[in-house]
Amino acid sequence: MAELVKVTINGEVYEVEKGRLLIDVCREKGHAVPSFCYYADLALQASCRMCLVRIEKMPKLQTSCTVTVTDGMVVTTESEEIEKARRGMLEFLLANHPLDCPVCDRGGECELQELTFDWGNLEERFIEPKNYQPERYLSPMVANDPQRCILCKRCTRVCDEWMGEEAIEAGGRGVATIISAYGDWLNCSQCGNCIEVCPTGTLLDATYRHQARPWELVRTVSTCTFCSDGCQLALGARGEEVLRTVARDRYVNGINGEFLCVKGRFASHPFVNHEARLRTPMIRYRKGGKLVPATWDQAIEFVAQRLSAIKEEHGPQAIGIVGSPRLTNEANYTLLRFARDVIGTEHYTATDAFSLVPFFENMGAPLATHRDIRYAQTILLIGGEPEELQPLTGKQIRQAVRNGGARFILINSVPIRLKKNAAQFVHVRPGTEEAALLALADADSVEFAARKMGVETSEIEQVRRALSEAQGTVVIAFGELSPAAQKIVAQLPYIYADDRRRFLFHPLPLFNNSVGVHDMGLMSGAMTATEMLDAAGKGVRALYVAGSFLQQHLKGREEALSKLDLLVVQELFETATTEYADVVLPAASFAEVDGTFTNNAGQVQRVRQAIPPVHLSKPDWLIVASVAEAMGARFGIELSASAIFRDIAANVPAYQGLRYPLLKDESRPVQVKHEIAQRRDISGEIETLRATIAQADETAAKITETPPVGHELFKLGTLTEKLPQFHYLAAGNPKPENTLASSPLVQLTIDAALRRQRQEMALAGD
Amino acid sequence: MSIISDIVESTKAIIKGMSVTFSKIPKEKWTVQYPDEPVTVQPRYRGQHLLHVDENGKEKCVACFLCAAACPSDCIYIVAADDPRPYEERIGVDNRYAAVYNIDYGRCIFCGFCVEACPKDAITHGYNFELSVYNRADLLKTKDDLLITKQKQSPNYRVAWADEDVDSEYKVV
Ligand code: SF4
Ligand code: FES
Repeated sequence: MAELVKVTINGEVYEVEKGRLLIDVCREKGHAVPSFCYYADLALQASCRMCLVRIEKMPKLQTSCTVTVTDGMVVTTESEEIEKARRGMLEFLLANHPLDCPVCDRGGECELQELTFDWGNLEERFIEPKNYQPERYLSPMVANDPQRCILCKRCTRVCDEWMGEEAIEAGGRGVATIISAYGDWLNCSQCGNCIEVCPTGTLLDATYRHQARPWELVRTVSTCTFCSDGCQLALGARGEEVLRTVARDRYVNGINGEFLCVKGRFASHPFVNHEARLRTPMIRYRKGGKLVPATWDQAIEFVAQRLSAIKEEHGPQAIGIVGSPRLTNEANYTLLRFARDVIGTEHYTATDAFSLVPFFENMGAPLATHRDIRYAQTILLIGGEPEELQPLTGKQIRQAVRNGGARFILINSVPIRLKKNAAQFVHVRPGTEEAALLALADADSVEFAARKMGVETSEIEQVRRALSEAQGTVVIAFGELSPAAQKIVAQLPYIYADDRRRFLFHPLPLFNNSVGVHDMGLMSGAMTATEMLDAAGKGVRALYVAGSFLQQHLKGREEALSKLDLLVVQELFETATTEYADVVLPAASFAEVDGTFTNNAGQVQRVRQAIPPVHLSKPDWLIVASVAEAMGARFGIELSASAIFRDIAANVPAYQGLRYPLLKDESRPVQVKHEIAQRRDISGEIETLRATIAQADETAAKITETPPVGHELFKLGTLTEKLPQFHYLAAGNPKPENTLASSPLVQLTIDAALRRQRQEMALAGD
Repeated sequence: MSIISDIVESTKAIIKGMSVTFSKIPKEKWTVQYPDEPVTVQPRYRGQHLLHVDENGKEKCVACFLCAAACPSDCIYIVAADDPRPYEERIGVDNRYAAVYNIDYGRCIFCGFCVEACPKDAITHGYNFELSVYNRADLLKTKDDLLITKQKQSPNYRVAWADEDVDSEYKVV
């Protein structure tokens, strides 16, 4: 507990922790203080001077956003003098601000507008012409009207401190200062966080430009469907169309605050109402024939009959059930129940890129929440590339180092961008990250591992020392690892345990519900996704797939799906998997269903329905339940998402006692209680690992090039490709000749040309 | 009593009543022979809305949605769109314009709040009052019905001069 001090605010005495910012204390105690440039957890700026207060014994008014409370401080936040000063400041801020609220997309949720209601004067005394600046694009995602800027520099600080990119900066001097990018074009990760934090309409979402006004949109808080960080976001829907995505709220926030990445912010909604969405159930009556639209009754009947027939003929094990780490816990759980209770097969799995089962079975410490990462003292990252694949984790690590002074140790074969925040970077040969684990777990292997990794033994010793001497919270984050390495990493806390430090884990799976699909038990089936594909036509005669197989699963097994007697696919779009499907069932996207996702911190977060299912689609769990019903099975599942979740809570130990109402508050997400494993014997795994590593090439060259921004982030996927601007990013985001907003739709025309070009390339057999 | 007094009484009543009738006959008539004659409406009469254009024929509406927000009966529906072409080529005065602008006259109560809310003087009340239709759905008027360049004005009204007194209650008879 920090030392308490007494401060008097407006005549009332409060006891507060020493060292806190005065503005926070005032607000917490109910004395409103207006501000623009102040932003919690960012470097102090003190440029807007709206937060002026009178502090006794100090000459002149003081900016409460930079003053920390001290004992005996006497503060006044309301007086004639302060009001005059604030009104004066606002008048200056508005001196150059155009009066174009009617056309500004920020209008209605603009902090400048709000504070002008409180502190603005009715009349403007400046009659000089305003500093005109044309509107323009700073990137396909960011529209910019420099004239509206009040130079609070939240955007530049966010860009620098959260994203570590310094892509957006203030340029020019004096009154001519504007916010701009190097070369007037943003070549950053396009996270759009500058848009989110801007209190004015200077930086705006170019993909949602001039489409609606905020008060017209019904806001639904939901969870992002891209990576495993599980950011909270708010979908803005008008009628039956989702028009935009913003971070949770401008004032109350989920685990991510106002942070979102390019996918979450810009690509979360365009696919929802996209014209390529599957509209009706479709049946292919004859192999090699066409998919013919059918009614739901026909399709369900068809699936149930065929599944029953195959079960009869070849036994239940001939049917494989495949879930997806993109679907809700409810959908995956229903699939599991369907597999076990209705079909009676052991062959179920999910289309995740890798399984975390070995890790969770041996997990010797709890999972780290993103908040834990931000306030950790030591962070060890083995493999992975969070700034591209789990951007929120990347941001938390960056902030932990920058604003929290954490010690960040990076073990990677690629000099990823996070390197510049690392206190120690162990640069290993490609594919030898696991050798580092071996060296951490087994003191005798240090030299062997160091040789294989191509690093000095001292470097490894340094990491070992850092772990065994660390104080406070130690977070171990890791990317894809082999099962043996997963077990070892899971047991590391027992090796380095001590009561001076607390170990926490942060696995970095790729999908929004990778952890959830594991928790539901789908990953513990008798076969993996690739094994199932290999067995297609032999052991496995029918597959029921929710979602689609990943490219990496299908690679080299393109023919596998055509060998099946029956392939049923629940999907949003036509994919490589639906190509061979005998029945395609249109599923509802995350914006159209209720449910939960579990993120890489083990937090279960709600997915909420923003719009009714588009076209004829239905929630995944409902489709499965109808098929089960048509097969005459007593399923024992009540037909509502919350009832299924109750069932999950009753059957999955980690979720025990949870109910939807308990998950209501997204600012305090509930972490599920994964079982902490006892100390296990890992000598077997150490041997396995040593054997694999022994095969590593000792002469392999190290990768010395830092991968470019967006090399993973901007990859086109089934969902991201539905946003035209994403194609532009994927094509390298070149600066167009004309970036002015009034030029013919820069981003779209160029994008159309690019798409044409790519089609021609494809035709030419490139 | 008797039939005689009955007759006297009723004759008196008829004479009293008819005297009012006959006394009005020579006076000026209030009835307007609509639709044969145009109705005179006040300058600030609130009839069907007009969407205005500027001197170059560009729509003044910038789709700010303030009218829709102000509307107490929720009858205005707008879809905003971006039109980044140069001024000469585009539809509206600004590069934001209303791609769809509908007013549902089945709901409109002609309160005029939308007109007050408009920051661009793009919407006003016109004088058209002949809104009856055979089909309910026709009460939904689109931009094609509302734009000043497109709205058909009825020949059946005339607007009073500013100093003209058209209100019957105070009409000097
Ligand atoms: S662009 Fe927005 S966030 Fe950046 S300095 Fe200007 S007003 Fe502040
Ligand atoms: S909030 Fe304190 S100066 Fe801007």
